[in-house]
Amino acid sequence: MNIVACVKQVPDTEAQIKVKGDGSGIEEGGIKWVMNPYDEFGVEEAMKLKEKLGGEVTIVSVGPARTMETIRTALAMGAEKGIQIDDPALYNADAYATAEALAAAIKGVPYDIVFCGQRAIDDDSAQVGSILAELLGIPQVTFVTKLEIDGTAVKATRPIEGAAVVVATSLPCVITATKGLNEPRYASLPGIMKAKKKPVDIKKAADIGVTGASKSKVAKFTPPPARPPGKVLCADDTPEGKAAELAKLLREEAKVI
Amino acid sequence: MELSTFSIGHEGREVFWNAEHFEPILFMLTFVAMAIFAYGVYRRWLMWTAIGKPEDRTDDRNERIKALLKNGLLQIKTWSDPYPGVMHGLIFFGFVVLFFGAAFDATEFHVAEPLGVPFLLGNFYLFFSFLMDLFGLAVLVGVFMALDRRYLTKPDRLGYKGEPDNRPDDAIVLLLIAGIIVTGFIIEALRISVTWQQTPWEVWSFVGWTLAKAFTGVGPEAAKVMHKWTWWIHTAFALGFIAYIPYSRLMHIITTPANYFMATRKPVGQLEPIKDFENAESFGVGTIEEFTWKQIFDSDACTRCGRCQDGCPAYLTGKPLSPKKLVQDMKEYWLEKAPGAVASRKEQLMASGESAESINPKLKALFAWLDKADKIIDKNLPKGPEPTEKAMVGEVIEIDELWACTNCMYCMENCSAAIEHVPKIIGMRQYKVLMEADFAPELQLTYRNMENNSNPWGVGAHLRGEWAKELGVKTLAEDPNVEYLFYVGCAGSFDDRGKKISVALAKILQAAGVSFGILGTEESCCGDSAMRGGNEYLYQTMAQANIEVMNGYGVKKVICTCPHGYNALKKDYPHFGGNFEVFHHTEIIADLIDKGKIKIKVPVDDVRFTYHDSCFLGRYNDVYDQPRKLIKAIPGARLVEMERNHEKSFCCGAGGARMWMEEHGDRINDARAKQAIAVGAKTIAVGCPFCLTMMSDGLKFHGKEEEIVALDLAEIIWKGMGLEEEKAPVEVCHA
Repeated sequence: MNIVACVKQVPDTEAQIKVKGDGSGIEEGGIKWVMNPYDEFGVEEAMKLKEKLGGEVTIVSVGPARTMETIRTALAMGAEKGIQIDDPALYNADAYATAEALAAAIKGVPYDIVFCGQRAIDDDSAQVGSILAELLGIPQVTFVTKLEIDGTAVKATRPIEGAAVVVATSLPCVITATKGLNEPRYASLPGIMKAKKKPVDIKKAADIGVTGASKSKVAKFTPPPARPPGKVLCADDTPEGKAAELAKLLREEAKVI
Repeated sequence: MELSTFSIGHEGREVFWNAEHFEPILFMLTFVAMAIFAYGVYRRWLMWTAIGKPEDRTDDRNERIKALLKNGLLQIKTWSDPYPGVMHGLIFFGFVVLFFGAAFDATEFHVAEPLGVPFLLGNFYLFFSFLMDLFGLAVLVGVFMALDRRYLTKPDRLGYKGEPDNRPDDAIVLLLIAGIIVTGFIIEALRISVTWQQTPWEVWSFVGWTLAKAFTGVGPEAAKVMHKWTWWIHTAFALGFIAYIPYSRLMHIITTPANYFMATRKPVGQLEPIKDFENAESFGVGTIEEFTWKQIFDSDACTRCGRCQDGCPAYLTGKPLSPKKLVQDMKEYWLEKAPGAVASRKEQLMASGESAESINPKLKALFAWLDKADKIIDKNLPKGPEPTEKAMVGEVIEIDELWACTNCMYCMENCSAAIEHVPKIIGMRQYKVLMEADFAPELQLTYRNMENNSNPWGVGAHLRGEWAKELGVKTLAEDPNVEYLFYVGCAGSFDDRGKKISVALAKILQAAGVSFGILGTEESCCGDSAMRGGNEYLYQTMAQANIEVMNGYGVKKVICTCPHGYNALKKDYPHFGGNFEVFHHTEIIADLIDKGKIKIKVPVDDVRFTYHDSCFLGRYNDVYDQPRKLIKAIPGARLVEMERNHEKSFCCGAGGARMWMEEHGDRINDARAKQAIAVGAKTIAVGCPFCLTMMSDGLKFHGKEEEIVALDLAEIIWKGMGLEEEKAPVEVCHA
């Protein structure tokens, strides 16, 4: 089975994000870059599928030079090879342009199934997987928490409010992974060492026949407003008094009840 | 010499009395016994050398010989535990004296008498007789103490989880020793019962003399016959003992002292780093062959005494790990695997033309001859257990055993056979982590946190220097010209409780006028938890990052508040080019008090303090006195020791990466907190942020957090210096 897993490099969840002075983006200095956690679920599922059914896993990512580290991380988990699309034209790409580049790259390799994370934790757009499936002209199941494959038959479970839906489709298809699908593995040291020598194709937009043109543009980044200080309930010292004061504040000031 | 040649003033005894013609047979039997002994050692030798990676344990020879004399001959370590120490000492030293006695007898008979210079005469003979009986009695007392301990008192440490672990061999050995001594006394008594009228001085052989009275009813001729028989039984026991050594637990007479000679000369807990990650094919220990030969030999030096188990925090809180069991399981597995390995090694040796050249032809012939003997013997002996196809890590040593270890070093510190348990455990952990990446999910998260944010908590790395912002502490980037680097570590930087220790120490140092700085965001995690949790790769990444920054600033002296960082920086960083003079903050503060640079002004009103020895400070680094000195410097403080203190201190449960792992069943920190509560302490002083967390949690578990407080010594001292108005608990609702 030929498996493709798409990954995005994002700032670590604990990283301190500072918006550039002109609002054009974020300051990248001092940021620890990691693999998008949802993509990790996709890579792990790809590995599990390969271990069960045989085949090869190809990692595809769009991003600047630093993205190589994330591709190597996925290779260390056991993937065979990687494709990195590194082109300045794509550095601020929107979901469409990213999906277009991924689709163009994926069309160049044999694939039976494509994994993506359900969304990236930096821009939270949750669109790339879906657009990618459309561009590849294959079915998609998003937010998958359980995946079963039998021959070409695919059964994918996705949670909906308080319940789960099982979607049946067939290969090839795009699966976007979410928490619950699996527990991503910790790379073994031989895995890390081997990953350094695995082939990664670095391509420009032109190599795969895309322009990198986005359909949308981020107008401005602004940091979230500073949190107002907390309030201490002082009016009455008894629990009842405090509860009454809290209820009053929630109703009159916060207007939540 | 004839009996008649002795008299009062010229006391002595006829060696081989009533056994004049036994000598040739005795010689022959001795030769047979020695041959059986030598052959057994040779067979064992083959097994010791057949499995395991090479490792040099012959460097630093003088120190090794000292260790051998100290603990092999004088048995200093064995004495450290009173009952078993005395028990073993009586048997061992009794045997040593009796051995020399026998040698004196033999020398008198075969050398001194024929040369006409007999020396077992007069007062010397009387003293000699007295000494032999005294030590013979000592051995007997030792044997009874051992029998009582093993079969009546039955301390848990001789078994495992309440199940005794008594083997036939244990009884055979004790009975054999008792048999030798008892028959020896009987022989003596029978001789005295025949000759006492001519040799009244034999009263000096006080045991034989007393016992002789029991034989007064036996006539001289009957006594002589009985004497002959007993003589042979005694001889059979004694020679049997020699022959039995390599086939029984008595082998420890050889292996345990040998293990002292070969014990590591490295500082306590220092681990040999993995070198060359790029080209190595495997990491850690996944099969028994991946241990070094010495690590395997260790298991043959183990006498199952259970000292290790007696203070193992994992074992004592119901975890499956017992250092003794681990070593014994390894031994059993090795004994299964060894014959196959010996056979293939012999084949290699015989087949390879090259080694045939290098081996002396006579030696080769001897080997070939011995090999034939081996085969004949093996064919006729009952077969040992078939080698099982068990996995070394996971089956022989269970995963839960492997991960229960807190690396507290109690086992190694207290082992009376110099066995090195902890590096074996870390080796196997390395295999699970680096090779198989198969380990606890919570530890995986810890490692990811360390990878991404250089701290186990996973708090954003940019927050590392935050605690110092309001104190005016400069980073080395701001001012590199300082005497000390305060290496804060992760707990001191990110953990809210730990930050208070950093603040207290910074204030003490500032008040005492010590020139110091921190690294701020340039600091990395020390890597101790990664190293001890088997992730040597991650550990080295962290270590190298720190060393690069520190060397960049030309750092010479470092202060640590966390003993884990202290130990890593002090002992393990030199492997990677980080050579610093490293101090624990209690050492620095003790020195400042000594020099009068800080004064403890605020008295405490007769408060009972107890001090919890952190493993990485005490057993790892011998820092026992300075922390106690700090407590004693506080006017009015009373230091009460917990039952387990100093070298026998009980771990808090956080070492060896356990800080980050789920603990099932009884918790080690709760057990330790209970010990502190038991001595009536009002303040538990610690010198480690991990211990502090563990002790605080333990106090909460016992519902004692209102009465007893756990504090770091830096906090205690800063408070005692009385330079800061004590802030009332946050009062927000001002009138």
